[in-house]
Amino acid sequence: MLKKTAIEKISQLAAVLMEKGTLLAPVKEVSGHNFAEINDPQKVDLSFYNTIMSPKGAFFPHKEDFVKYKIGKPLSEAEPAVLNLKPAFLFGVRPCDVKSFEIMDIHFDAAGIIDPYWRFRREATTIFGYAYDLNQPVDSADFYNTLGIYAADPEGSDIFMVKKDKELLLKAITKKGENLLSELAVLKDGSAADEKYFTEYVNKGKEYKTRFMTLDQEAIAKKLEDIFDNTDFWTKMSAACLSCGICTFVCPTCYCFDICDDTLFGKGTRRRVWDACMFTDFTLEASGHNPRTQVYQRLRQKISHKYSYHIRKYGVISCVGCGRCTRYCPVNIDIYSIVEAALKA
Amino acid sequence: MTEFKKIEENLKTEATRLLKEGLVTVVLAYGKGFDENHPMPYAAKTIADVENIVFNEYCNYNMARYLVRYPQGTKIAIAVKAADSRAVIQLIQEEKVKRENLVILGIPVQGMKNPKTGEIIDSKTTCGMYNPVLYDLLLGEEVHGAKSASPYDVLAEYEKMDKEARWEFWKKEFDKCIRCYACRKACPMCYCDPCFIDQSKPKWADKAPQSPGNMMYHLTRFHHLAGRCIDCGECSRACPVDIPLYLFHKKVAKECEEMFNQAAGMSIEDKPVLVDFRVEDSDKILE
Amino acid sequence: MSFEPKILGIACNWCTYTGADLAGTTRLKYPQNLRVVRVMCSSRINPSFIFRAFQLGADGVLVGGCHPGDCHYNTGNLYARRRLATTKKILEFAGFEPGRLRVEWISASEGNKFAEVVAEFTAQIRNLGPQAKLKIQE
Repeated sequence: MLKKTAIEKISQLAAVLMEKGTLLAPVKEVSGHNFAEINDPQKVDLSFYNTIMSPKGAFFPHKEDFVKYKIGKPLSEAEPAVLNLKPAFLFGVRPCDVKSFEIMDIHFDAAGIIDPYWRFRREATTIFGYAYDLNQPVDSADFYNTLGIYAADPEGSDIFMVKKDKELLLKAITKKGENLLSELAVLKDGSAADEKYFTEYVNKGKEYKTRFMTLDQEAIAKKLEDIFDNTDFWTKMSAACLSCGICTFVCPTCYCFDICDDTLFGKGTRRRVWDACMFTDFTLEASGHNPRTQVYQRLRQKISHKYSYHIRKYGVISCVGCGRCTRYCPVNIDIYSIVEAALKA
Repeated sequence: MTEFKKIEENLKTEATRLLKEGLVTVVLAYGKGFDENHPMPYAAKTIADVENIVFNEYCNYNMARYLVRYPQGTKIAIAVKAADSRAVIQLIQEEKVKRENLVILGIPVQGMKNPKTGEIIDSKTTCGMYNPVLYDLLLGEEVHGAKSASPYDVLAEYEKMDKEARWEFWKKEFDKCIRCYACRKACPMCYCDPCFIDQSKPKWADKAPQSPGNMMYHLTRFHHLAGRCIDCGECSRACPVDIPLYLFHKKVAKECEEMFNQAAGMSIEDKPVLVDFRVEDSDKILE
Repeated sequence: MSFEPKILGIACNWCTYTGADLAGTTRLKYPQNLRVVRVMCSSRINPSFIFRAFQLGADGVLVGGCHPGDCHYNTGNLYARRRLATTKKILEFAGFEPGRLRVEWISASEGNKFAEVVAEFTAQIRNLGPQAKLKIQE
């Protein structure tokens, strides 16, 4: 099923989706675009390359309260957080980011570990993937081609959207997407020409080239294991690294978190907050011992986790090549270059 | 002003000489990044490494940030622009590095650009100086006669603001903070281990990116940098959500300069103003 | 309900705290809004104490130390003067009322001054009203 709408009328579609549930879509902020819950349909803005923060926050928010309690009171009086189970719509996700949800599912909804918060949100959400604009130049930081993802891959989305001049074509990919699309009366039916355009666009997406290297999973996993003790290599790679948390916070596949109890005046909240392996206190043990005190150790952990341990354990690379870590790194550390250098080391 | 390309050549020549003669073990300069517009901070340790050194208008990094990473006593050559040299001076004042262990390669430069926007940042977000304050070797001609604005000019607009409006402004800015701590990590003067915000006893603030913790983190950091901030603008440049931290730092620097008659990082003979006092300091400053 | 300010007093052990003691033993009356914490010297006061006090609901913070030149440790209050002046400037630029922080030099013999300062500061905070900017909302 293929539907369409004029891009300038996107706020009408947004208004309908807001009636049906929660709408999360890109909005323009001072420093760039970000996904946010929409209160005003006019705010939805599709004129973005990619958002600063990845859309993982839609399912795995930066800060999530689990339970509120009072100190000294029985457990039965604690109040667990209530999940908002309204249907949700995640609008305008780039193909590489769509792919990241699949990788994150491994950690939150498989392998015997089920995170109810992640799963409920995931099930309640319809994902509107959105192809990169093939007429715009590709950002030099991106390298999703290396991970086998293309600029207009509909795979993983429930509904996939493609820009056609001043129109937006919406195609249902899954059953969930089809059901939703058939309910949206604000959309017009797409013509046979639109169908053809859509198919061609998806194919053309393969020619929209980001940085690329041939990456054999087994080879890189093995290589990173081999050079684990090559301190010279890692010191060189991390010479510039500031050890801040930007790369992990903007990353769509970083999932480390910390459970914090924040208590004040006898009342407490237990919450989950994103953590970053680049922070010094990430591995600080209660004894005071810290196994990773050096910047090179932390950078090594980050790269090896994504490109080696993750392959060994789950069979996939934990990276989608969206380029955010490189784009927002204050000192331009580039994970692609490090992987490339590691293969040659 | 000397061309960027020429400075790059001079930087390479001097780095090679210093490493060859064994005068230093590491040269902190700028190196090739993944493309031309994205150079990186770079540590050249061998003569072969020198080849990777570059210098262009995007080499904003304050290399003084990396000085404290090497053990005391390491012989280091460091490339510095105007504000960076002040950071080096400040670190010498604080006894984090020793003057005799440093070879300071001064770079007089004008027209550095913000890589995100391409905008020239000279005195807007940095200290507005063009020539390094302290150096052993100058790698280009000094900049003279360039229109130099006061680094504090940008403040006027915010000082005029009504108190309530200013509170709303800063609250909104700090609410954006994602607590990635890039500001403190990019800062040449932030070298505490552990940083107060990472302490659990006492625990000063929540880890969550929300108002009370963000407020505590930023206000305290401004305080910790009072009289020490040399206005290089690295904190705001590193910030992924563009919080104008430089404004607050500039304001605190300005107040300290007015109260204590001393700007940060101008002379290695000085002491940081907040670990110093004058008997004749006036009680008026407390009003 | 009328507004009763909560004021945190941070007093140095040698002068202001002893001064407060004197105010008590000479049975001087001053508002009960002050809760005093004793520190060894005004220079022991970490500016974060003050930010944290405001976050935890203080409407005002009164810091007391020895008169400059009279510090038990010779120079502690001279450092404190510079430091706390800076704290005030930071609060002011953030848009917070700097009047909610007051620094006074009160010696061990100035019980009167202590009572007067507390009365005056309490009245001032009463005028400013409840502090809501930094206070953590429960």
